Amino acid sequence: MYSIVKSVLAIVVVSIGTRTLRAQFTEFKVEGRPVQIHGFASQGFALSDGNNYLTMKTSAGSFLFTDFGVNISAQLTGKFRVGAQLYDRNIGNLGKWHPELDWASGDYKFNDWLGLRAGKVKTVLGLYNDTQDMEFLHTWAILPQSMYPLDLRSATIAHVGADFYGDISLRRLGSLSYTAYVGFQPTDRYGGWFYGFKEYGINLTRLNGRLEGGDLRWKTPLQGLLAGASYLNQDLHAQATVRSRSYGVSSTHDQTSQFYVQYVRDRLRLDGEYRRNLLDLALFLLDSRSFYGSASYRVSKRLELGTYYSRFYLDLRAGGSGPSSHIFEKVATARLDLTSHWDLKVEGHFMHGYAASNAFRGFYPQDNPQGLKPETNLLVIRTGIQF
Amino acid sequence: MRPLRALFVLAAISMCAAASIETNEIKIIANPDVGASEISRDELNRIFLMTKTSLQGTSHVEPVLETAGRVHKLFLKEYIGRTDVALMTYYRSLVFTGRASIPKAFVSDSELIEYVAKTKGAIGYVSANANTAGVKTLKVK
Repeated sequence: MYSIVKSVLAIVVVSIGTRTLRAQFTEFKVEGRPVQIHGFASQGFALSDGNNYLTMKTSAGSFLFTDFGVNISAQLTGKFRVGAQLYDRNIGNLGKWHPELDWASGDYKFNDWLGLRAGKVKTVLGLYNDTQDMEFLHTWAILPQSMYPLDLRSATIAHVGADFYGDISLRRLGSLSYTAYVGFQPTDRYGGWFYGFKEYGINLTRLNGRLEGGDLRWKTPLQGLLAGASYLNQDLHAQATVRSRSYGVSSTHDQTSQFYVQYVRDRLRLDGEYRRNLLDLALFLLDSRSFYGSASYRVSKRLELGTYYSRFYLDLRAGGSGPSSHIFEKVATARLDLTSHWDLKVEGHFMHGYAASNAFRGFYPQDNPQGLKPETNLLVIRTGIQF
Repeated sequence: MRPLRALFVLAAISMCAAASIETNEIKIIANPDVGASEISRDELNRIFLMTKTSLQGTSHVEPVLETAGRVHKLFLKEYIGRTDVALMTYYRSLVFTGRASIPKAFVSDSELIEYVAKTKGAIGYVSANANTAGVKTLKVK
């Protein structure tokens, strides 16, 4: 059934994309109201030395790096819009072609400083949490994994609930944009947590819970400079079967604080983010820290170059300086915009560390039966279309 | 030191004059239904970045763009502070997170004016010498 749905979705995306590649999008009217359809698809290749990465057999080269999505939306009145997006992916052993409802919401804007969005909503956390799946929006083939891990995407990507949001002008001091939300994190059976725990004989059946949080960003008076902070608090509930017996645990802490700054000037973009996650869930007591700094420059209409340096510390309280305590990563990227709807990226990752075999941060013992090596160099080539 | 200071002042004046000449090449237009007769740079920026959807008594305003050309580039440089590629990337980030639709864009002044004239709340920009019958011009303050 899933392969049929996958095939249908892929055909829809490719056929609409092919027909509308010259147009920016597909728009039609339903009872006089404009309805837009957009979509995207990407295909990647990853090759590594050292370790296999992100559940792919990258040491032999892997094409198991595909995702696509399609959305439909309509502005029903000047203040009210509705829409939904389907998303599917297969990255190594993640996703496994199980499509999901990425978001589906109704959005009512009372005025510029107050709006309400409800349904399944992408979570605003830092600069790129809500857009991390859309490779065409970014310079990078893979976003800094210290901040936006592909395998643990479902931990923060969206919630079922409601957001209040708005934009407040500070006149000469710029403007403030805020988002405050409360909701429920759905279980992702095809993400890194479920995959990682299997190696230990733990079959997760549930990992979800209530969450609340917010984001506040300041568009400063200096053109192009943005600064902000996000906070997310989750009550996680996990259920698993171990040797046919069922167990359940709940977190006492799962708090994420994130601070960020961005400067965009003409062709130059500079980003910096810092995140702290405090997790207390059964055997997991972690004070994780992540940060990265990036720079990208649009050399021409077709070419953009970029680099980032990223650091992830699994548990700062535990100390330790060996490869099991962290992942440090240096990345260089060239992005080619072959057309306005088709991009190609070539990217090199130079990583030190794997942050422990039970960290579920890209490096899994079942994918590396020979043991994890301290260094991993990875080549990623990724192409994508969007309309 | 005095000649250097004079040179600096002259350069600053020249830059301001160049910017003034460039913005004089653009007219901001709106549907006659839009209540405002003038608009601030901040309001224009926020409308085209979709963070502001109302304007001085008009409950819903809709930005309308040109697809390319000198006026389009000048408008983006002067009022939005982003390149065309960066602006489209920004719009797509809103579309693919369910927050907005991509605004309408037209290849010529006449097509844009025709759309603004018939669409309540529409705000766009054209070259200063375009025939803007059927729409109102907003003064940028």
